[in-house]
Amino acid sequence: MTSIPRSDKLFFYALLPFAGIVLSIFILLLKILVENSLPIFIREGLGFITSNIWRPSETNSRIEYYGILSPIVGTFYTSLIALILALPASIALTVFVNEYVPHRFKILIVNLIEVMAGLPTVLYGLWGAFIFAPLLKDYVMVPLNNYFWFIPIFSCKPTTPSTMFTASVILAIMVTPFITSVIREAYEAIPLSYREAALGIGTTKYEYVKIMLTMIKPAILAAVLLGFGRVAGETIAVSMTIGNSFSLSMCLFEPGYTISSLIANQFGNAGFYHYMTYALYGAGFILLIIGLTLNSIGLYILVRWRKSLEET
Amino acid sequence: MKRLDRRIIMDRFFKYLVIVISLIALMPLFYIITSILVHGGSTVLKAGISFLYEPPPSPLSTNVGGIGPSLLGTILLMTITIIIGLPLAFFTAVLAVEYPNSIIAKFVGILTRSFIEIPTILIGVLVYTIMVLPMGRFSAIAGAIALALVSLPYMYTHIENALASIPWIYREAAYGLGLTKPKALFHIFMGIARRGIVAGILIGLAKASGETAPLLFTIGGSRHSYFQGLDKPIDAIPLLIYEFAQTPYNIYHEVAWGAALILLLIYLGVFATLRLLVKKVEL
Repeated sequence: MTSIPRSDKLFFYALLPFAGIVLSIFILLLKILVENSLPIFIREGLGFITSNIWRPSETNSRIEYYGILSPIVGTFYTSLIALILALPASIALTVFVNEYVPHRFKILIVNLIEVMAGLPTVLYGLWGAFIFAPLLKDYVMVPLNNYFWFIPIFSCKPTTPSTMFTASVILAIMVTPFITSVIREAYEAIPLSYREAALGIGTTKYEYVKIMLTMIKPAILAAVLLGFGRVAGETIAVSMTIGNSFSLSMCLFEPGYTISSLIANQFGNAGFYHYMTYALYGAGFILLIIGLTLNSIGLYILVRWRKSLEET
Repeated sequence: MKRLDRRIIMDRFFKYLVIVISLIALMPLFYIITSILVHGGSTVLKAGISFLYEPPPSPLSTNVGGIGPSLLGTILLMTITIIIGLPLAFFTAVLAVEYPNSIIAKFVGILTRSFIEIPTILIGVLVYTIMVLPMGRFSAIAGAIALALVSLPYMYTHIENALASIPWIYREAAYGLGLTKPKALFHIFMGIARRGIVAGILIGLAKASGETAPLLFTIGGSRHSYFQGLDKPIDAIPLLIYEFAQTPYNIYHEVAWGAALILLLIYLGVFATLRLLVKKVEL
């Protein structure tokens, strides 16, 4: 550090408060979530996440009980379905943009994907709730139930357009552009020598794409995990389309809850009850842990894959 | 010969499969935009230009009214978000780029980026706890802080990329003149990286105009009165859409669609400007 001029050092110190702000916000978030959720964890223990009872009471706080199993399961369930739908679409879009679209239109398609990625989520929600959900019910959910009623996830009669299935499909639509951008970046980072090697042995396009996709498998896995983190945290569009009810069912055609839509719906009036606010902070804490874990693993895989690419 | 045929058929089949799935994946975008144009357009045409400045109707009225207070609120929130968020994003980016060897700078870089991973609803809960509760009421400033925190990682990424991509010869030239780091930054590097910095601002604007979840528990949604002060409740278009869509009143649904059209236009405007400035947009 001796070679650094004094003024540069001063500048460094002048910048530190900004670093301090960022750091303290992060710590503050953890602090308020942990602090405010402690009472519920102490009171209910593991029951908080393993039971599906939501019993608020304005008059008698002793009978209040909050278990968020249904929102936790709902979060993972809708996210999983969304990713199962979004992954093939993302891979197809990547291949489409890089291999099949004429060069002139490539920029256009990429732009469309980016517009889609940034579109305000409330617009997805509005369209989903009023336009898409009724269509989905009449033309997808009812037929699936009619013909595949013996499969548990399609076993119940869809009675309302707002179901876990609707939310999953909307989430899939929303997350596809994001997953595509991660996969596409990896796809385009494959060194030219590999591409030439594959083409040089006379592969058809299909075989070529298959080889390329095999090479970026870790990046695809990372994209799925990062997408999972995004989907699990999405609030607005889900809360507008999922139906918001505590059900614990294998069947996709029932309304449900996710952790984030639970917070969105209940946090505003939780103050009327003694323990509900704590329960919602607890739910938020669990949501944060889920998000951070999935994202960290995803980023770790992505960084490791990039390094391995550089080394070879 | 038979084997070759199978490969070609497979190749064709794969090609059409990819094209069909891709078109299906892109279709929702067109469907959403068409829906908003049709439904929102009919509302705005019915209400006329006053849609932009009238307050919203009462649930049983037949007159559509407008979204004046919410539109003004969104514009104000966008402005304050940039005023709060830009210095934070800019100076943390400077720290990370100019002092790449310091552990603090590296750590803060990683931390700032990881803000993307925090679900936006939790940012709302955080600001509610540390600002709305102590102040005793919802406020414009609380909403702007929440939005600034949500857009921070996006702004940071763009500004950091812009500063980091300044060629070394320019840096050497600046330092060769005997400029200190702050002087070189403000007089030379900022000029070179200005596109990236403007892109950062635009990303912030896009986020501040479109996010809903951070505003749920922070701004209070006072959509019948215009701006009353930074420490008073305010409304925003996304919040209006979210809340009106969940009411049973048809007239509110109409207003929500009209508001969606305005929001879409704001978003597309910001996006198009952004696209002219930078090649790669990360939203």
